Amino acid sequence: MSPRMTPRRRTRRALAAVAGLSATALVLTACSGDAEEAGGGSGSDDPLVIGISLPLTGDFSEPGKGVQRGYEAWAQFVNEDGGLLGRQVELKILDDQSNADRVVQDYEALIAQDEVDLVFGPFSTRLVVPSARVAQEYGMLFVEPAGAAAEVFEQGFDNLFYAAPAVADDHYNYLAEEILAMPEGERPETVAVASMDDPFAQGTAYGLRDKLAEGGLEVVVDEVYPPNTTDFSPIAAKISDSGADMVIGGTQYQDAVNLIVALQQLNYQPQLAAFSTAPTNPEFASAIGDKTEGILSPTGYTETASFPSNVDFVERYTELHGNAPGEDEANAYTTGQVVAAAVEAVGCAEQGECQQQLIDWLRTNEVETVVGPLTWDETGKPQGAHLIQQYVDGEIQIVLPEDAKEADLIFPKPEW
Amino acid sequence: MTTTLLFQSLVLGVLLGGLYALLAAGLTLYFGVMRVVMIAHSAFLILAAYLAWYFNQQTGMDPLLSLVITVPLFFLMGVGMQRLLITRLRPATLTMMSVLLTFAVALFIEGMIGFVWSGTQRRIQLPYSGESITFLGAQVAVVKLVAFALAALSLGLLYLLLKYSRFGLALRATIQHKEAAQLVGIKTDRVAGFGFGLGLATAAIGGTALSLDATIYPSLHWHWIGPLMAIIVVGGLGSIPGAAVAAMVLGIGQSLLQVPLGTTWAQTIFYVALFATLMLRPQGFFGGRLAQRF
Repeated sequence: MSPRMTPRRRTRRALAAVAGLSATALVLTACSGDAEEAGGGSGSDDPLVIGISLPLTGDFSEPGKGVQRGYEAWAQFVNEDGGLLGRQVELKILDDQSNADRVVQDYEALIAQDEVDLVFGPFSTRLVVPSARVAQEYGMLFVEPAGAAAEVFEQGFDNLFYAAPAVADDHYNYLAEEILAMPEGERPETVAVASMDDPFAQGTAYGLRDKLAEGGLEVVVDEVYPPNTTDFSPIAAKISDSGADMVIGGTQYQDAVNLIVALQQLNYQPQLAAFSTAPTNPEFASAIGDKTEGILSPTGYTETASFPSNVDFVERYTELHGNAPGEDEANAYTTGQVVAAAVEAVGCAEQGECQQQLIDWLRTNEVETVVGPLTWDETGKPQGAHLIQQYVDGEIQIVLPEDAKEADLIFPKPEW
Repeated sequence: MTTTLLFQSLVLGVLLGGLYALLAAGLTLYFGVMRVVMIAHSAFLILAAYLAWYFNQQTGMDPLLSLVITVPLFFLMGVGMQRLLITRLRPATLTMMSVLLTFAVALFIEGMIGFVWSGTQRRIQLPYSGESITFLGAQVAVVKLVAFALAALSLGLLYLLLKYSRFGLALRATIQHKEAAQLVGIKTDRVAGFGFGLGLATAAIGGTALSLDATIYPSLHWHWIGPLMAIIVVGGLGSIPGAAVAAMVLGIGQSLLQVPLGTTWAQTIFYVALFATLMLRPQGFFGGRLAQRF
């Protein structure tokens, strides 16, 4: 493959180099005019330029466009409110075509040639990892909206921050805390786990399983099934036979629905039932009918969350687009909020020493965002957890944590 | 393993075996009559499931009523498919080329379902979806029981039709020896067309039975074709009682093995059985006379 690719890649490189040179030339000539003002320091009226590369075409174009809408909404609202450090914000968005080579070139060009003040991350782990490396070489702060996989945090980046509440393992943290805080006699004692053989599904389920096991609950069933499983009654039979007080499903959509119905058919009545992904899907209730009551699920973002900046975001975004923001838009908006908080606190936004100050500030401070307050560990992993939702009176509502809840957690859950 | 769980798994296995038998019946029929390896059979199952879902969506009536429309419709589609597509294949390469042809048909159906109803996963919501009755300590889901009854009924009818009707005699004669059947005046082409239609009619019933208790999506048929093919090879190509027995044995086996081995390993029973059959008795364990010629 590589010999065939080389000429094309070489042409591309050459083109990029030419483009880079001409850009540099333009910047140089432009600089001669602005030099005085730029040297003048912080009182500049120049827009604050933020460089971004996004997959606007190719495999990730759908979520990529969602992230773009989120970034653009953030920039527009910031500008309406008077800008950042008194300067208007300008986004410079390139299309990397969902290509990891392109994303590297894009960030090289944005940082080295365009000399943008700040950068925001792209979408998907596959693009976040290579672009974070570029940002690190230039010592740039790198806040990203979409790299939840474990490998992102295993690369040793010291400039990266994931702008979302939690990685998969931590999705259920609020639920785990709530259960472990119950008095011994009342809380569930046994747990049955069934998870799809998939890193994301297993991450969510095993995070909760392990925390409960450490807290003294007994795991009585621990099943893994391949993604192509269509018949869930034998798994349901095992869970039902174990009589576990609680059932955890590491699920995507169809397997969750099939497993829940199979459990209902066996008349298994757990005190708690937690399934990832499916319950937040709008199709879920029409598939299960009126037997959803009490089913739990973690979620990264909800338009109804009562965090102050979220109320404002949803209102303004809905006015702008005619519909409420989704998770991709919210994650992008969160990225903007995180960077803005650091910039406002440190009082600068340019390449060089300032970037390290921004990084250091984020390491030690908490930021209020549309997905709640965020803090990070030294690898950039967010220290939060997902909101926990539950079907209450036929509606899916936030029940945990305390400060975000729309309804009280129902325990034990009603019969299904 | 408790005895309750063992008995429960056995009950589930019997119900699953019944469904497998119904789903595989058409497949063995096509091969028996025409040497056609019908990869698209499971795609037609999913199509029937979608039609049942759509019928329920639009009318609010029980999806079983959609059979009144889908069974004749699928029969006609089967006859049409045989007369327009399958007969154009050259007899010498029929078996192999039918794989390619029906593979294309399967892709076409999958694409059409996605185009018309989108890739969103669907499920028919029935008032009795989660209901079950207690049978000697085991829970028997009502929808599974309905599917099983549907399977038993249609397989019984199919058997009677093949055994006692004039058409059945002609079909069996065509299966046994096409040239000889032609010599005694059987219009084997027409019989083959009806045979294909009959196979697709069972797909209409099977798909509807499946839709009662499964979440459906356009590409679901790829998960079904492998196990169904294994069932008809183990049962003996062309033998409906063979398919029924093999489906029952493998369904129960899968359900029971799942208890100690887990889901991933239990699924391999189909491929182990397929492998063992090809090693020990390539013509299948039932109705072997036919398949020996291949």
